[in-house]
This record gives sequence, structure tokens and C-alpha cells, in this order.
Amino acid sequence: MRSIRTILAIAVAGSTALALAACGSSSSETTSSTKATSASAISTPGYPSPTTESLGGKRGGTLEVLQESDFEHLDPGITYAALDYPVVFATQRPLYSNKPNSTEPTPDMAAGPPEIAANNKTVTVHIKEGIHFSPPVNREVTSEDVAYAIERGANPDVANPYLKTYFNSLEGVEQADGGPIKGIETPNKHEIVLHLDEPKGQLVADALVLPLTAAVPKEYAEKYDKNKPSNYAAYEVATGPYMLKNDAEGKVLGIGYVPGKSATLVRNPNWNPKTDFRPAYLNEIDIKIGGSEPVIDRQVLEGTNVVQNEPVPQSGVRLAAEHYKSQMDISPGGGNRYVALDNKVGPFANIDLRKAVWAALDRVALNKERGGEVVSTVATHFIYPTINGFEQAGGLKGPTGPQFDYNEHPEGDMAIAEKYIKLAGYPSGKYTGTQTVQVVGASSPPEKEDAEVVNQTLKNLGFNTKLTLVEVSTMYAKYCGVPKEEIDVCPNVGWIADFADPQTVLDVTFAGKSIEPVGNVNYGQVDNPKINKAIAAAEVVQGKEARGKAWAKIDDELVEDAAAVPFDWEKTPRLEGKDVHGVAMLWNEGAWDYSFTSLK
Amino acid sequence: MSRRDLAGAPSTSEPLLRVEELRVEFPTEDGVVHAVDGITYQVLPGRTLGIVGESGSGKTVASLTTLGLTRRQGARISGRILFAGQDLVTLPEDRLRAIRGNDIAMIFQDPLSSLHPLYKVGAQLIEAVRAHRDVPKARARERAIELLALVGIPDPARRVDEYPHEFSGGMRQRAMIAMALANEPKLLIADEPTTALDVTVQAQILALMERLQRELGMAIVIITHDLGVVAEVADDIAVMYAGRIVETAKARELFSAPEHPYTWGLLKSIPRLEAGRVEQLVPIPGTPPSLIRPPSGCHFHPRCRYKQPDHARIDPQLEPLAGEPEHFVACLLDPETRRRLWGELREGATPDEAIDAAGLPGAQV
Amino acid sequence: MIRYIIRRLLWGVVLLIVLAVLMFILFRVLPTANPALLRAGRDPQPKLVKEIEVVLGLNKSLPVQCWDYLKEIFLHFDFGYSYYSQESVRSLIAERLPETLSLTVGAAVLWIVAGLSVGIVSALRRHSFLDRALMGGALVAISAPEFWLGLVFLFLFASDIGKFKVFPGAGSYVGLTSDPWKWFTSLIMPWIVLASGSAAVFARLMRGSLSETMNEDYIRTARAKGLKERDVVRQGVRAAINPIVTLFGLEVGVLLGGAILVEVVFDIPGIGELFYKAIQTSDFPVTQGTVLLGSMFIILANIVVDVGYAYLDPRVRYS
Repeated sequence: MRSIRTILAIAVAGSTALALAACGSSSSETTSSTKATSASAISTPGYPSPTTESLGGKRGGTLEVLQESDFEHLDPGITYAALDYPVVFATQRPLYSNKPNSTEPTPDMAAGPPEIAANNKTVTVHIKEGIHFSPPVNREVTSEDVAYAIERGANPDVANPYLKTYFNSLEGVEQADGGPIKGIETPNKHEIVLHLDEPKGQLVADALVLPLTAAVPKEYAEKYDKNKPSNYAAYEVATGPYMLKNDAEGKVLGIGYVPGKSATLVRNPNWNPKTDFRPAYLNEIDIKIGGSEPVIDRQVLEGTNVVQNEPVPQSGVRLAAEHYKSQMDISPGGGNRYVALDNKVGPFANIDLRKAVWAALDRVALNKERGGEVVSTVATHFIYPTINGFEQAGGLKGPTGPQFDYNEHPEGDMAIAEKYIKLAGYPSGKYTGTQTVQVVGASSPPEKEDAEVVNQTLKNLGFNTKLTLVEVSTMYAKYCGVPKEEIDVCPNVGWIADFADPQTVLDVTFAGKSIEPVGNVNYGQVDNPKINKAIAAAEVVQGKEARGKAWAKIDDELVEDAAAVPFDWEKTPRLEGKDVHGVAMLWNEGAWDYSFTSLK
Repeated sequence: MSRRDLAGAPSTSEPLLRVEELRVEFPTEDGVVHAVDGITYQVLPGRTLGIVGESGSGKTVASLTTLGLTRRQGARISGRILFAGQDLVTLPEDRLRAIRGNDIAMIFQDPLSSLHPLYKVGAQLIEAVRAHRDVPKARARERAIELLALVGIPDPARRVDEYPHEFSGGMRQRAMIAMALANEPKLLIADEPTTALDVTVQAQILALMERLQRELGMAIVIITHDLGVVAEVADDIAVMYAGRIVETAKARELFSAPEHPYTWGLLKSIPRLEAGRVEQLVPIPGTPPSLIRPPSGCHFHPRCRYKQPDHARIDPQLEPLAGEPEHFVACLLDPETRRRLWGELREGATPDEAIDAAGLPGAQV
Repeated sequence: MIRYIIRRLLWGVVLLIVLAVLMFILFRVLPTANPALLRAGRDPQPKLVKEIEVVLGLNKSLPVQCWDYLKEIFLHFDFGYSYYSQESVRSLIAERLPETLSLTVGAAVLWIVAGLSVGIVSALRRHSFLDRALMGGALVAISAPEFWLGLVFLFLFASDIGKFKVFPGAGSYVGLTSDPWKWFTSLIMPWIVLASGSAAVFARLMRGSLSETMNEDYIRTARAKGLKERDVVRQGVRAAINPIVTLFGLEVGVLLGGAILVEVVFDIPGIGELFYKAIQTSDFPVTQGTVLLGSMFIILANIVVDVGYAYLDPRVRYS
């Protein structure tokens, strides 16, 4: 689902990751590299990878960041985009957050792991002492600031995009409109208790890594939240090592953030390193917005003290691969991509026709279109590298056995495809139905080429097709995300999680219950009773190993059902200047983490 | 511009302009155009020379060359153009420029296209003055008004601020003349000055030129295809054909005793009131020859009714008539035959009748 | 004349209103994404989408939205607020106006000066080597897209990424008031790139037009008057410019269109870049505001050209 503005997935989490990440230490000495579970399995030889980066950088200096696109929202209550996160996580401290190079959350503003009551209906978090807001607020952060941060998410003028999805079990949240929420209790200044009306404590605890839980001072922010829409972002204060530069009144807009032009992060004078695991080497981060990627790529590769922080186009990847190998960091775990086939209506309601498409599709060709092995891995199932359960689901090779013959020839095998077409009731080995197959893809490279390859494959199988290419956000909003449009084939869909838990990859995208009339993300309307049942069961499984196994089994079943045709596990390259020691957010498409990056 | 003798301009004085063996050639993709093929003439101070010929005879090119205006068209020029002791053929451009519009001025056929459409008439006059006189703008403007008054434009103080398109045709030519007179030139070259005008206006313009010549004492070269015009104004006439002068004489002489068959053709092709209805107008048959490959021998022979076999070989020279040192003709017919032929033609005979009467052998084509 | 200008201005306003309505309709009819849906995240909850629609005013009926929109634009010159940065479009545009003016005015000056001088030189030296070289260059400049040409210039001459480190590269723009010299040097390449296409068009037009006028009778008259050649050429140029001036208004539109790409490639934070990003993010108020502003400029430029033409050519009179 990556587009010009990548929107991160939110996990419907049942992960035990938090419980396992019992890193209670609040000292900055613990900032050693954390190995990500399966990232090394597909790291790209010859390139520095986040998993092999060591820390311990030089202090000081100004990092320049060049980025083509502007931020969407820097208000921690609204922000939800991959490009916004590096700034938000350098300036805001949620209760928990991911260390770079890892996919496992660590207590951030929280003093320790969340305490989930036995009945799974109460979550208690203790907050560290000695964390202060940046000027002009200056005072210590209390649990009430976290409470207000969550409450304002329900204010329609803030409209947090995930509050009611993941905190919907919070008592009184459905009626909330910005005022106090009944289920949020703050017994003292350093303790917050969340009361739920359903036993979903684990889900809520997992969601505390989201920036919605970053403290917001009510007495300061309230007046801005009264505006329609809220303009708190123009005055936002920080709790992290950095803050958006502001004036004495706290005004950020036009000073620390000039929309479409620049953003400037300076050290937060009230940040106490003793309370944080972030080393915060840099003194300042100057972000320049605008320009064009081909120019930015060269400016970064030939420049000093400079990085870019967006997905790199093929031309940039090629340039770096040829001349600046050591300046390209390739992060695995950029999500999966698959061809969604309408499982409910039209020819692809027939499982054998879906298998025929899978068998015939040349996934190697698609991989080459995207830039080959450097930035892409040929997919054989849905759970992608870095996500728990990847190995159990068959690793790189995928599920094997005679029943998976359509998955065994990544270059495409017409003989196998014909076999399945015959099974579907077309004895000639070619589809002879009269229906025209609607194919809607994205018009920008490399998605356009993907769509064309898929379209040609369908034609080779005998389908009459009508290919429509539109801008990527339109593709989702008007076609592939709207079931009543009855789009038979969406060749350019995909999913990326911000948790390493496999549920975040498979649940909303393949569970029958998640089909929505608009904004639907179960693109193929997959509603297989057997799979639905397995998903319901896997949601409540406890323990990392067990969860990996349970979801890997679902992955197998999706492959066996040919619910969709996965073709790509994406890797995300980022470029850095010669003297920059970039450290990437493995959990956020490999974007540079400003709190860990240093200059050489 | 009058046949009256002018005070201070005796015909015996030194010539103002003397053109000697002038040749102008234009190299083109099709070959070299021999536009002017060795002509010689002179203009005396205060007198009027009429140059007559069909279009393409080289009369305009010869005049433009006098002002050096054919140089930038890539013309190859040889011979001499002597003016006030200088050879205008070899004179450097900047010195020639100082003469143009100052000592020698020129007016053209179409006054509308010859005036800049986007500048006020006054501005164009002022410019003409200031090109050669270092005078303040205000003074030049006064001069412009004077000039407009001089050429008979009513309410000149107002008209000076008008654009050419606001003037009538005759007024525009008056304005052109005013511009040419801005610096009181010694010589005015008028290239078909009346052709684009109504007949009544033509007469007014010619009268104006005549008056101005009288008042200012300048010499005029008037170029025209219309013998009627030169008959009115010229003292001397040169007849040009295919880049050459074929006959030149005092105007009275040329009209009473023309010597060249081409001149006869020109004279017979204009209607004369006194000739009565029986006389037929005789157009000159054929078209003017190519100037890239001119006919051999006498250039006129392909169109000449009286030619003899050897006329296609022998190139006639412009020579004075016996006893008439100011009448030159380039014709291979012997003088006696010519006189007899003209005698017949003048009496209204057709060329064939004249040939018979003159006993010209083997003339018919 | 005053009546004519007033009539033209009124028509311009009508045209802008029609354009605003058309854009409004296009933006909703064409398959672009619903901004509320974009804003609502990756797995958008219908209730949240509704709430955002209310905040952005997208819940009202289309005619009401359109009417509100027009009212704000034409009565208060208010284009609303960006869907993303929530800044007023008017101030976004005002903030970027100096950059875009710096770029376009400079480029327009270069376009006219370079276009006309090249055209004049070529016309006066017709068929010479210089003429052929200049006209060949003009052909390249006409057919080269601005974005590509911008990249070529940057890769060749930018001081950071160029082969020959001559001019400050992309992102080096600073305001005129903060450092005039840096402002000037940072704009050299953008000016050249933006002006080249229009300059080439004008050079070719000027060459043709001047070649014609230099053969006119009044030029012969000017020479016969004994004017200096410089003044003769000036008269020719004066007449040759007229038929080209009418194309100026048209070319202003082309220039503004080019400014979008030039601002993007050279990272000049102007209105063009604002528009470019707004299109990509379906930010309707910003798109509408920038397009209407651009259209207003083009309409005004055309009125100025037509009125100016009456002064340039005394034979033309409007009533």
C-alpha cells in the first residue's frame, strides 16, 4: 500500500512482544544494536545493512535531510505516515517505542512493561520521573498529559486515524469527542490506568507504541485544539531529545516548520538523557523539503552531512549500486506485494482459475522490473522477512508439496496454468468465458509495469481484459478499496506492518470480517470460513513462537487457497552522504532514525 | 525640372552627377543577373533627367546604386559614379551615408509602404533632419512643420503628429517629398513618384516637384515607365532597355526625332490627343529579355521589327548622331533608314507599311 | 479605451468564475481520491471518514460547497485552508510569491531579451554559420522539456553535483532581501532553463518577422534618408516586434506552466512547487488557489498585451 505518501499499517496486535521486551533499564548505556529476528536471512550482500550497523557515533554536528515531499501531519495525535515518523519519534516519546534496527518495542516514557490485569480488561502503565516538556511549557510530564493526548485523539478536530480501531474497547471512547474519557484513570502523577469494557488488554497494550500516547500538555494545547481543525501542530512541544525549533510563545509554524519548505530540529534543552535510551548524537537536523528525487539522490551521494529519507527511485538505486555502494542502506521488511483477485464475484471466485494465474505469472520478471534482487525478493507467500513467522511459513522457498505446484516456478509455467484452467472446466486449457476482466493498477513506475505484466499474463490465459491505470491513491480510494466496483484484479496492492507480529500482516487483509464498503483493505474480499476460523483462533494465541507458528499456518492456507498472488517482498533502500553514519528504523521502512544517526 | 533655362544653372556647367560605365550584377542561384550593363549618363545642376524604360530595364537598380543601396543585397558593382568629386562606387559606407538624404535624396513609388507605419510622420521627418544636422529635437520639429507647409500640406502643425495611415495617398507622397527635401539636397532621385497615385494627384505632385525645383534649384532624376510624365518635366531623357541606355537626348529632340526603334515603340504606345481616332496604339510585341542570359548582339533584336540578320551578332555602341552631339543612340540601322522609318511611323503608318516604304530588306521575322 | 479595459476585466472575472466552477466539478468528477479518506489512514473507519468530512466541509451538498467556495474566493479572496498543513491557502501563496516572481519575472526578461536578440542577430546574418548555429540551438531548446533540461543543467553545471562546478545547484535559492548576490547566482540556471523554450520560440518568430520587415520599403526609405544602420535596424525591429507581441500573452501561460517543473527540479519553494505537491496529494484548496492565481495572471497578461498593442500599433483602435 505504499504510495507517494506511505501510510503505515497499524497492527491489530495480539503480540507478546512487549512482555518479552522486558528491558526495564532506562539508562542510555543499553543502546547497543538489537538483532532483528529474520532480517539477516535476506540482507543484501555488499551493502551496509541496519542489522550490521554498530552504534557509538561522534557527538555533535548538523545533519541535512533532503526530502521531495512535505510532511502530512507532525501533530503526534494525527501523524500516521512513514515520512513523518522520523521527526515525530525524534521529538515525541510515546509510552513505548521501537529501537532502530529492531522490531521489538522498548519502554520509552513508560518506566517498565505494561501491567495487564488477569481479566485482560485493565492496562496499567507507570511513567518515568524526570521527563520534561520542551520550552515554553517546561514542566514535568505527568500521566494526565498522556490521558489528554489520548482524549484529544477523539476530538473530531484532531481525528486520530486509529484511535477507534485499536482503543475501541476503552470505556466511553465511542461517545468521546475530546473531553475526558471514562475509561482513562490517573491515580497519581506517574501512573495511568486504562479500563476496558472487553478483554482486549493485550491489544491496547501493544498499541501504546503509537505516537498517540506521546504526552500533550492540556493547559497549553487546549486552546489550539479548539480550532477547526486543531492547529496544535503549529505550537507543539516536545518530550524527545529534539524539538521543532520555536519562539518564546512556542510557535513552530514558520520557524521550526515551514510547510513545503523546511523543518528544523534542535536539541530539546529539557531532555534528560538519563531517562532515555536514545543517544541523540546530532546537535541539529535541518530538513529541506522540495526538489526532485533524481537531483536529491545525487546531492546526497556526492554531499556531506546529508541524507535523504524517502523511498529511492530505481535511477537512484542504480546510481548508488554502481558508484556509491557503501552509501546505500537496504532495509529488509518493506512489506509484501500481491495481485489481489476478487474471490467473491467474477471468474476468480473459482480457486482453480486463481491458481492458474499464480502458476502463469512470471514473478522473476516482476522482480526485475522493480530493480532486481537489490531492492526486491521474489515472494512465495504472504508473511514477509523480518516478520515473526516468516521462517515457519517456509522462508524464502515458501510452502512445498505437490499441492503447491503453481508456486514452484517463479518464472511462470504455462503447462501448470493450463492444468488448472482445465480443472476449472475449460478443456482447451484456455479460459473461454465471455466475461471481461477488470484490471485496475497504478500509473507510476514500477507499479505500471507490474500491472502490464499481470495484464499480459491474463491475456495469455485467454481472458479478455480491460486495464485501467490511475494514480495510486485513486486506485485504492475509488477502485480496489471499494468492493461494489467489482474490480477483478488489482495487481499493485500490498501491505506493510509497523509491528513484527504476523497478525498485523494477515488479519485486516484476509479476514472476512474486515471487508468494508469503502476504504476496504481486504482487496480480494477473501472470506474463506476455514481461514476465518483459523484467524479468530490465532488472534488470542500467546507467546512469540506459538504466534509465529499459528500465523504461518494461516499463511500456508492462504497460499493453498490462492487467495491472492504474492510476488514481491520489498526491501527499502535509503541513501546517506559519505560521512554520515546512518541508523535506520527497521520497523519503519528503513527510514533514518535521527536520534541514533551520527556524523563520522 | 523645366524646359525653361534656369538662372545659375547653365547647361554648360560641370555635371553634378556623372555615371560612367556603371555595371551592377546580382549573383543568384539561377545565374548572374546583369541588372545594369554598362551605362553612362550625367545630370547637370538644376536640370531634370528622365530615365525611361519598362520594369526590369535596370533603371531603378541604377538609381539605388547611386545611393549605395544595392551594396548590401550582394550586388557586384563596377564603373564610376562621380558626385561632387567623389566616386560613390568606392566610397566607404559611412561617407556614402553622409551623402544619402543630405546631398542626394530619393523618393519612391508607393508612399504608403515607403513610410514607416508605426512612426508619426513628424518623427520620420525629424529623423531625416537629425540624421545629418546636429539640431535639437524641438528645432527639427519646427523644420518638419516648415517642410510639410512647403509641400503644401494644410494645417502642418497638427498633421505633423499624425501617422501615415491618417494621410491620403497624395499627402503621403507630399510627405515623402518633404522628407527628401529635409536637408535641401542638390539632387533628388524620384523613382516612379506618381505611379501609385490617381491621375489628378499625379499632376499635382509633378507640379509640386516643378515648383520646388524652381525654388530650391536642385537637380532631379525622374525614373518612370511613363513617357507622358517625362514629357512634362524632363530636360533630358535617357531610354533604358535591358540594363543599357539605348538612346539619350534633349527631351524636345527625343520626342521630335527619336532614333531608336524601342523609343518609337514607347512613343507609339502612348495615346496622343492630336492623333485622331484612326491612329492605332502599337504595343511593343514580346516581353523584356532575361537579364541572366541577355540576347546576343543588340539586346533589343528579338523584339525589333526592323532587325537585320547581323543584328544578332553585333553589339551596338551608344554613339552620337552626326551633327547632334547631345543625341546618342545605340542602333545598328543606318541613320538614313531610321529617319525614313520614323517619318512613316510619325505619319501613322504601321510598322509593316513603314518597312515597305523605307525599303528595308529582309526585315520581317 | 477605458470602457474596453473595464469590459475585458469583467470578462476576465467571469472567466475565472467559470474556471473555478469547472475545477470544482472536475476535482469531484474525476477519479481522484476523497481527501477525507486519504486523511483517515490506512484502514479507514467509516465513522472517522465522516468526521473528517465534516471538519473539511465535504459533507455539505455539492452546490452548497461550490457556492461557499466561490463566495469566499471572489468576495473575500479567500481560498480556504490546505487539507494537510491547515495553513490558509492565501498565506501559503503569499509566502511563495516572491520566489515565483523572482523566477518568472527574471525568466521573462531573459526570454524576451535573449529571444529578440538572437532573432535579430539571426535575421541580420541570415544563412550565416552563426544563424544556423543559433537556430539549431533554438530548435533543441523548443523541443527540450523543462524538467529534463533542468536535470541536464544540474548534472553539468551545479556546484554540488555537476561535472563542471559553476553555478549553485538545486535547493540553493535564498531570498533577494537576505542575500542579493546568492539570490542572483542561484537563479541563473533556473532562469536559463525556464526561459529557453520561450526564448527559442521568440527567436524564431523574430528572425522570420525581422527578415520580412528588413525588406520593406520603409526600411529602404530609412537607408535612403542616411540613417545609421543601427537606427535602420531599430526601425525594422520596431515593426517586427508587433506581430510577436500578440503571442506574448499566450507564452506567459507556457512560462507559468514551465515554472512548476523548474521550481520542482531546482527546489525553489514557489507557487509552482506548491501546486505540484498539491496535485499529488489531492489538496483541492491549494490546487484551486494556485490554478486560479495562475489563470488570473494569464488573463491579465493578455489584457495588458491587447491594450499595449493599441499603443504599439497606431492603426489598431479598440472601442
